[in-house]
Amino acid sequence: MITEIAPAPERVAAEPARPHHRRRAWDEVPRWQIYLPLSVYLLFTLIPFYWILLFALRPAGSTSLVPWPMTFDHFQKVWTERSFGTYFANSVYVGIATLLLTTVVALAGGYALARFDFRLKRGFMLALLCSQFVPGALLLVPLFQIFAELKMINSLGSVIIAETVFQLPLSMILISGFIRNVPYSLEEAAWVDGCGRLTAFRIVVLPLLRPGLIAVGSFAFVHAWNHFLFALMFLSDQGKQTIPVGLNTLMSADSVDLGALAAGGIVAAVPVVVVFAFIQKWLITGFSAGAVKG
Amino acid sequence: MMKSIRRSRRAATAVALGSVLVLTATACGDDGSGSAGDKGDEGSGKGTITFWDNNGGVRTDIWKQVIADFEKKYPDIKVEYVGIPAASAQSKYDTAIQGGGLPDVGGVGTAMLAAVAVQGALEPLDDRVAKSSLNGRLNDGLLAISKSAGGGDDLYQVPTSANNGTLWYRTDLFEQAGLDAPTTWSKFYDAADKLTDQGKNRFGFTIRGGEGAIAPALDAVYGQTGITSFWKGDRTTVNDPRNVAALEKYVALYKKVTPAADVNNDFTKMVAQWDSGTIGMLSHNLGSYQDHLKALGDGKFRGIPNPTLEDGTRVQVSNPVDGLSLFKSSKNKAAAWKFIEFALSHEENSKFNESAGQVPANTDAAGDAWIQRAEPTKLAAEALNGTGTKIVQLPYYLPDWNTISKADNEPNFQKLLLGKMSAKDFLDTLADQLDKAQADWKQNH
Repeated sequence: MITEIAPAPERVAAEPARPHHRRRAWDEVPRWQIYLPLSVYLLFTLIPFYWILLFALRPAGSTSLVPWPMTFDHFQKVWTERSFGTYFANSVYVGIATLLLTTVVALAGGYALARFDFRLKRGFMLALLCSQFVPGALLLVPLFQIFAELKMINSLGSVIIAETVFQLPLSMILISGFIRNVPYSLEEAAWVDGCGRLTAFRIVVLPLLRPGLIAVGSFAFVHAWNHFLFALMFLSDQGKQTIPVGLNTLMSADSVDLGALAAGGIVAAVPVVVVFAFIQKWLITGFSAGAVKG
Repeated sequence: MMKSIRRSRRAATAVALGSVLVLTATACGDDGSGSAGDKGDEGSGKGTITFWDNNGGVRTDIWKQVIADFEKKYPDIKVEYVGIPAASAQSKYDTAIQGGGLPDVGGVGTAMLAAVAVQGALEPLDDRVAKSSLNGRLNDGLLAISKSAGGGDDLYQVPTSANNGTLWYRTDLFEQAGLDAPTTWSKFYDAADKLTDQGKNRFGFTIRGGEGAIAPALDAVYGQTGITSFWKGDRTTVNDPRNVAALEKYVALYKKVTPAADVNNDFTKMVAQWDSGTIGMLSHNLGSYQDHLKALGDGKFRGIPNPTLEDGTRVQVSNPVDGLSLFKSSKNKAAAWKFIEFALSHEENSKFNESAGQVPANTDAAGDAWIQRAEPTKLAAEALNGTGTKIVQLPYYLPDWNTISKADNEPNFQKLLLGKMSAKDFLDTLADQLDKAQADWKQNH
């Protein structure tokens, strides 16, 4: 009987060489083949931003391709004459309140979804997912009527509640995913040490949820910051309007002040860019962690 | 342990802060009463009324001046101004009609008047105008357009201003090329051709191919053929063979004398492109005058009414007319009407239109000195009121007009520009939809 034995030592010897080959192949790729496509992509992405900056910083009527002589007149105009100072404050208010409400309620709901079994749980999760397919515009009239009954039309609270309600399904699903990733045994150990469920959650689970909370919170903030429809429909008082509505008022039916529009766009974009610059590390970690067992 | 206590304090503070924010925010709302079914009340003629400006932002300052003048004259009436972005005005009205929260007075242009009026939200104004100081002082032509645009026999809008199709052209480029002003269609086509040098990124014309493309295209079509009525019996004239030929000639300008990107032009892109590039002519309306002035400076451009036929006849389509409406659900119609009457008075209507660069509806205001100084407005007023101009009334009274002229046919116009649809097919499709909408409308009236 002849038995063929595979040349195992050779295979073992060959394996460590693979990364080396890969590295050599990678090193042999000319740098321009990497950087040229990346640069083209970067240009493609950044040129629109450059145009916005250009229009915002160059004087009205200038056709210069560089923002020189530089003027801040457009910023001054939108901030003072067009009340962007007020709109900005309102948007910050709506954004932060939506962030806090969404995070707190999503934490509670997400914990229940992750840790408890109850009847129709799968159906509930499916309903949460399906609610994402309903566009806000479809619900405008019923929402308007509900807020009117509650005497909340023309109050920032109506926008905060509507934004929170629309953010909650996705936020709850994400948070429940993060909580599932935290071993249940950690909570059980805290109970053995004398903690109640709430204390155990606060001391043991909550600190581990930081990336997830940052992801969900920032998502809620940015969505509330950018959302136009609810603020337009539920708020009438000029002093209560938010940035997206303010931006739209810079375009009239027949005329548009491009300098002011660009300056307004930068005012609207800066907080979002700053938020993302600070939280991007946690944001990516958070979303990928929540997605594993969602 | 200390750490966890600190953390829990922070969490508690965040929750408390969130609650305070929400409670504060909800503390001062209102009930948004006033929907389409509400019959309202004449009221005491005093107190607070709400005014929605359907072109908020750009017109906010001038409306606030008018309101300040009004409150000075009527100290017992307060006007709450709400500026609505122009593009969202109809959605805001539609939501309020269904859900409540309509204003006492609102700016409702003829383009959306029928859609708002058909929902029963507006108060007929014929009697109020007849008994007011405005009787005999409003432009008859504009009043007729307002009445027709309401879709019925009643007047639902008091016109404040007329806009007009305007051919803006760069006088510096025309002088350099030794061209005459594009006052006739043949001069227009000749100039568009001669001013184009694609290698140097110079174009003779910029065409509107994106949002809002249908009305300017119809303006060019009827302007060239001289057909003066939109309807022949129950059928539209839009697909008349002469119109088909005129449209073919007009869309052939695309890419030959216009930038290729024009297929996506809405008015914003089109005006921005004209103001910052080297393009000879632009067909828009009086509303962009201030943009051109800021961008190009005085003396480098002119705005003239649409070109004429060779015999001097000018045919153009009607432009939407701005105006004010009184909402049926108002609990203080007496005060609301006082505001409308005041805003349409000689002095206030003149002030408003001087700022907006439009033709005043008040006939006394239309004779004011500033109009003689503002050439595009003066020429537009002469064209609108002159006997040499024939206006083809677009069917703004059809509740489906906005759908037909926007969502249904703007994509087809882009296909037409790109050569994926013929001018005949485009106009036949448009005509079918218009004939059906007209038949439906007639059945209900």
